[in-house]
Amino acid sequence: MWVRNALSSCRRHPRGPFHPFSRSLATEASTSSPVAPPESSLPQTSHPKTSQRLPITTAIILNRSPLITRTPSLFERAYYAYQARIQRALHNPFPYEFWFKEGSPLETRFRVEDMKRERKAFGKPFGMPATDAEGNVVGPTYEDIGLQEEDEESMPRTHAVDTQGDVKSLDRKGQRNLYLLIKAKSGEEGEEIWKFPEGGLQKGELLHEAAARDLTAVCGPYMDTWIVSRKPIGVYNPPSSSSENSKSFTFFCKAHILAGQVRIDKKHVLDFAWLTKQEMESRLETDYWLGVKDILSDF
Amino acid sequence: MSSSILTPAKATLSFRVSQVPVRYAGRKPEASGDPKKDLIRRILYPSNLRNKPTPVGTWRPEVGHLLQRAIPSKQAHETIERAWNLHLRHTRWKREAELARKFECMRKAMEELEKIDSKLYMGANKVEDPRVWTAAELEKSSQLRGAEKRAFDWRIRGLFPRELRLPTDTPSRNGWDYQWKPLGESV
Repeated sequence: MWVRNALSSCRRHPRGPFHPFSRSLATEASTSSPVAPPESSLPQTSHPKTSQRLPITTAIILNRSPLITRTPSLFERAYYAYQARIQRALHNPFPYEFWFKEGSPLETRFRVEDMKRERKAFGKPFGMPATDAEGNVVGPTYEDIGLQEEDEESMPRTHAVDTQGDVKSLDRKGQRNLYLLIKAKSGEEGEEIWKFPEGGLQKGELLHEAAARDLTAVCGPYMDTWIVSRKPIGVYNPPSSSSENSKSFTFFCKAHILAGQVRIDKKHVLDFAWLTKQEMESRLETDYWLGVKDILSDF
Repeated sequence: MSSSILTPAKATLSFRVSQVPVRYAGRKPEASGDPKKDLIRRILYPSNLRNKPTPVGTWRPEVGHLLQRAIPSKQAHETIERAWNLHLRHTRWKREAELARKFECMRKAMEELEKIDSKLYMGANKVEDPRVWTAAELEKSSQLRGAEKRAFDWRIRGLFPRELRLPTDTPSRNGWDYQWKPLGESV
């Protein structure tokens, strides 16, 4: 049921009778005339003539998802602390004898830590250990459990490469979405531009298959990637400077990188970088950036 | 939980003392039997003699005092709640706006694809059932072993891979795996 809805939402309105084959034949006939080569300088692997028949290039938006959760803002932290204080005031007395064995070191440790939390939430008269008549402290104190702190140290949230600014590293900016950009020579002039990895489409191939093949061709097979869907997530047609009225289209497919790293041969691809959306703006050409920016995640 | 209120409240309480209607009265614990069961019974069914607070919350006399200390005032609390809801609303709008932009890009792409090449369009619209394995895939899976088999089985067509991790509070000890090799090129 939802399949039909998805299909109908992708079609234009109103719908007439659907003629798939006549339309594809029309497309092939019009593009059999000489067509400007698509916007890519990458090696066409086996059938150069047939891949240039369709003015379609497939590009991949390879995304490294966030590795760590987002840092809460100051307001969020303050609100969470406020709610924790209210909960601490209102919740039922904690049943120590249910959760801990009577007098066990774990119970001692929990009691001391809880006093500390209470002190932090409400201030000094609360959460102070009880004192008897002479003013001596009764019950366990922090010093009793001091040497038992054997918590595993977790890794810090910022990596060393964050300070170094190494844009090839995949550990950088753990909270953000990173996207792969490639620096390659474009067109006949040979100027080097940054863009997403792309390549041509072969006969009989679907978009996502072409995207996978192009990715291994451009970036090497030493990456564990997963292409999310058969459907393209965006399209870019550059303002065509060629005299023929053939436009070229670049269809973007989304993929995730799960492990590995890019390995480029320096002949066609000069450089690569893993960048956030904001860092990309300065490197991409204006038209390309405007065509691509809505596809990417802001954070 | 400490009920260490050092100074009793001077003003009369405006908060209702938290009460839950109960039917069983205080009773002597049954000394026979499993101490664990007795403990559970004592926790779940406390006496209703109203002389001290209980874990199940049948009688909490100090709630009013504690609430007065926890929140600045009723008006301040309401303002904080409204500010929080506003913050949530704004983050929700931002998230929805981003999703709408992305969906619009996708819709335009599919529209262009339909105009250009309908075979590709039909191919892109095909829905893959993750439950169905072709005969070739089944045979390949039966021939693989160990890490290779796991790597193959975890990539089900039409479903997300198992290696896709959720973000955690701190990163993993080993960091990113840069030494990944494709199937058939182990070590």
